Amino acid sequence: MPSSADSPIIELRDVSFSYEGPSSQDGDMALSHVSLSVGRGEFVGVIGPSGAGKSTLASVMSGAIPHHYRGALYGATLVDGRDTCEVTLTDISRIVGSVLQDIDTQMVASVVEDEMLFGLENFGVPHDQIEERVSQTLQTVGISDLRDREIATLSGGQKQKVAIAAILALQPRVLLLDEPTAALDPASSTLVFDTLQKVNREAGITVVVIEQKVALLSRYCDRLLVMSRGSLVLDGTPRQVFAHGERLRGIGVDSPRVARVYNSLARHGLVEGGEPCLTVPEAERLVAGLVGDSPRQVTEGNFRAGSRHVAAARPHSEGAEPVVLLQDVCFGYPNGGATVDNLDMCVYPGEVVGIVGQNGAGKTTLTKLLNGLLRPSSGSVRIAGIDTADVPTSRIAAHCSTLFQNPDNQLCKDTVLDEVAFGLELQGVGQDEACRRASSVIDRFGLPANEAPFSLSRGQRQMVALASVVVMEPEVVLLDEPTSGLDYRECMTVMETVSWMAERGCAVIMVCHDMEVVSDFAERIVVMADGRILGRGQTTQTFCDSDLMRRAYVEAPQVIELSQALARDVSPEFAGISQVSGIVDLTEEMVGRA
Amino acid sequence: MLNAIDYVPGNTLLHRLNPVTKLALAAAIIIATFLADTYPMLLGLLALTFALGAYAKSSSRLVSLLKLLVPLAVVMLLLQTAFVRGGSPVFLWMTSEGLETGTKACLRLMGVALPLILMLTVTKLVDLSNACVEVLHIPYRYAFTFTTALRFVPVFSQQMNAIMEAQCARGVEYDTKNPLRKLQLMLPLCVPLLVSSVGKTDATALAAEERGFYLRTRDSSFKRYPLVARDFAVLVGCVVLVALGVVA
Repeated sequence: MPSSADSPIIELRDVSFSYEGPSSQDGDMALSHVSLSVGRGEFVGVIGPSGAGKSTLASVMSGAIPHHYRGALYGATLVDGRDTCEVTLTDISRIVGSVLQDIDTQMVASVVEDEMLFGLENFGVPHDQIEERVSQTLQTVGISDLRDREIATLSGGQKQKVAIAAILALQPRVLLLDEPTAALDPASSTLVFDTLQKVNREAGITVVVIEQKVALLSRYCDRLLVMSRGSLVLDGTPRQVFAHGERLRGIGVDSPRVARVYNSLARHGLVEGGEPCLTVPEAERLVAGLVGDSPRQVTEGNFRAGSRHVAAARPHSEGAEPVVLLQDVCFGYPNGGATVDNLDMCVYPGEVVGIVGQNGAGKTTLTKLLNGLLRPSSGSVRIAGIDTADVPTSRIAAHCSTLFQNPDNQLCKDTVLDEVAFGLELQGVGQDEACRRASSVIDRFGLPANEAPFSLSRGQRQMVALASVVVMEPEVVLLDEPTSGLDYRECMTVMETVSWMAERGCAVIMVCHDMEVVSDFAERIVVMADGRILGRGQTTQTFCDSDLMRRAYVEAPQVIELSQALARDVSPEFAGISQVSGIVDLTEEMVGRA
Repeated sequence: MLNAIDYVPGNTLLHRLNPVTKLALAAAIIIATFLADTYPMLLGLLALTFALGAYAKSSSRLVSLLKLLVPLAVVMLLLQTAFVRGGSPVFLWMTSEGLETGTKACLRLMGVALPLILMLTVTKLVDLSNACVEVLHIPYRYAFTFTTALRFVPVFSQQMNAIMEAQCARGVEYDTKNPLRKLQLMLPLCVPLLVSSVGKTDATALAAEERGFYLRTRDSSFKRYPLVARDFAVLVGCVVLVALGVVA
């Protein structure tokens, strides 16, 4: 029974679900008592910490629950007015098209065109319409030029667009995406969201997207759903939702930095509260409005005053020997493809250095050169005084530990304790000693020592991997996208641990797409593009170099963009502020001065 | 990443043949290789495979595969000479008969492995499964299972590579020179690989179902795979090959 135009396209009535089956307790529910409705043509974002039930919610909406995953389902889910329990998964997917989290598993073909054809053929689209559908969809998504390309040769962002196009060609009424940008750099993520917005506005397709990147969601969504522990806790426009900054933080969800500026100003009684700004220009207008009346005392004296609000750099040993030294390093993969050229880098003990740049800029190659997985074709890499060309990779591991993006690649033991102690044992530390040191680190992280690592959640698995890095007490730590796939709280725990290691004299080099994290934790950054180092320097100053940022396709963190805009248009005192509190304090002070 | 079974784009006659014909050609070479019992025939079939590979510009793949096969063939040769003791002694423990059966077994090993790989490098997997469904009337789910399994080979080898790198960076000695030690270190890694592959296949099944997998019939494919004159010509050639294998 098709429903009328104004009824919701998806409706959940008091839905609960447990993967365990009917006998489970209320606490084990992956979803508990969720009621919501998604209207036609809406652009809905779903956020929440890991384990909150976001993916389960997506599975319920797509019909994968109850048709694919087993468990106990209560309540009713209506898709276009029909109960998902009563129609087949295939029929639900005519209405709700889903793009999975791991798009590699979704692909069925090796060439883009064949990938597009698969669904169209299956759903029996008349063959004389197929050509038009394919070309039109590719055009909508903006990838007409990729039609004959091999999928294996595409970048992550292009692949994601192909996955979206393959579903879109089926002309679903709802497009459901599970973390579509998790593996993408900021520029590609924005492009994917631009595509979604276009589809939403032009074709009127309802979009439901699960995402961790709050700033993106706030810019594109009409409506945000916040999940926590299987329940829907907030539901409203991005402004309404981010007005609850404190509550979100308690749940474990970040807010866009400009919203934090607003909420903080509201707490200080400078603005009314309730309508936080979501973009940098909005925040600029707000602050300009607040301090605009105050006399502009732009004198030589307080021109430098902005620096008072810049956090002091972590003191590190002056004049110490660099622990990482790269001299004129070049490397090219044997079968062509990416190369890195003339890399020079020098990192001292106790420093946190961020490496930023687009996907394919050569960041991962650089980390592999550092931990010895690759040897430079010319130039030298020295880690803690050892030239990596002279010793096997497994020996470098004693001095340089790597935390990989995907913890599952490094977990191989039966218990967390064995896993953490494993690295030490490999370096020849006796079993008792290794266990003792591992136990103390495990206690520090509050991990279950006797559980199997694979039975833990994604975030906890990353903690186990981090613990096995910490226990090594290395001179150098390499982090490759340490925060991807983690929620805000897990991300902070990882980064705080890393800072703690840096304070104890460990040199930290991190490759990271999250510019907020880089700006909060790194004191120096190295900007890479096309296998070369384009620029480097103190974090805030380098982020402020808008020309450099544009050349490297890197988007500076919101607070730095805001402080730059304010410094330009309102008062030079704002220059160089990289923290929310800095902006708020200065604004308060300037308002007080008036 | 270069993979032995990846499709090599091209527009040669070999590329344009119906996938089923290519399958038949590979099968004919393999059957002939099993039936043949003379050196000229066995070498001739290998030469044919390489000639076809050179024509389709995928001989580099065959050579890289040969590098893997040759050590295997040498081990086989040594074993054969140790077990087959007839004929007159030639060198150390080896006898004339042992050497003959051994070398023929080696040639057969290569003659069987290479044509299949050649066929895969000139055929897109999607075309292969669609053509098998259309021409051979194989149920689509079997064809899909088969091609998906092949498609996962590079995915898993990448995964294995990532796991090895991660373990190596932790200090596991994968860079050891001793192959036995390396094998011993690799075995525990089968667990993480298995865990992730089960998850991947489950996700693939779900995604396929959500894209109408169960609605697919023999007529679904947009591209058609009719057998044309050149296919019949090659098929006749296949019969001749098998016949040659029987007589030679």
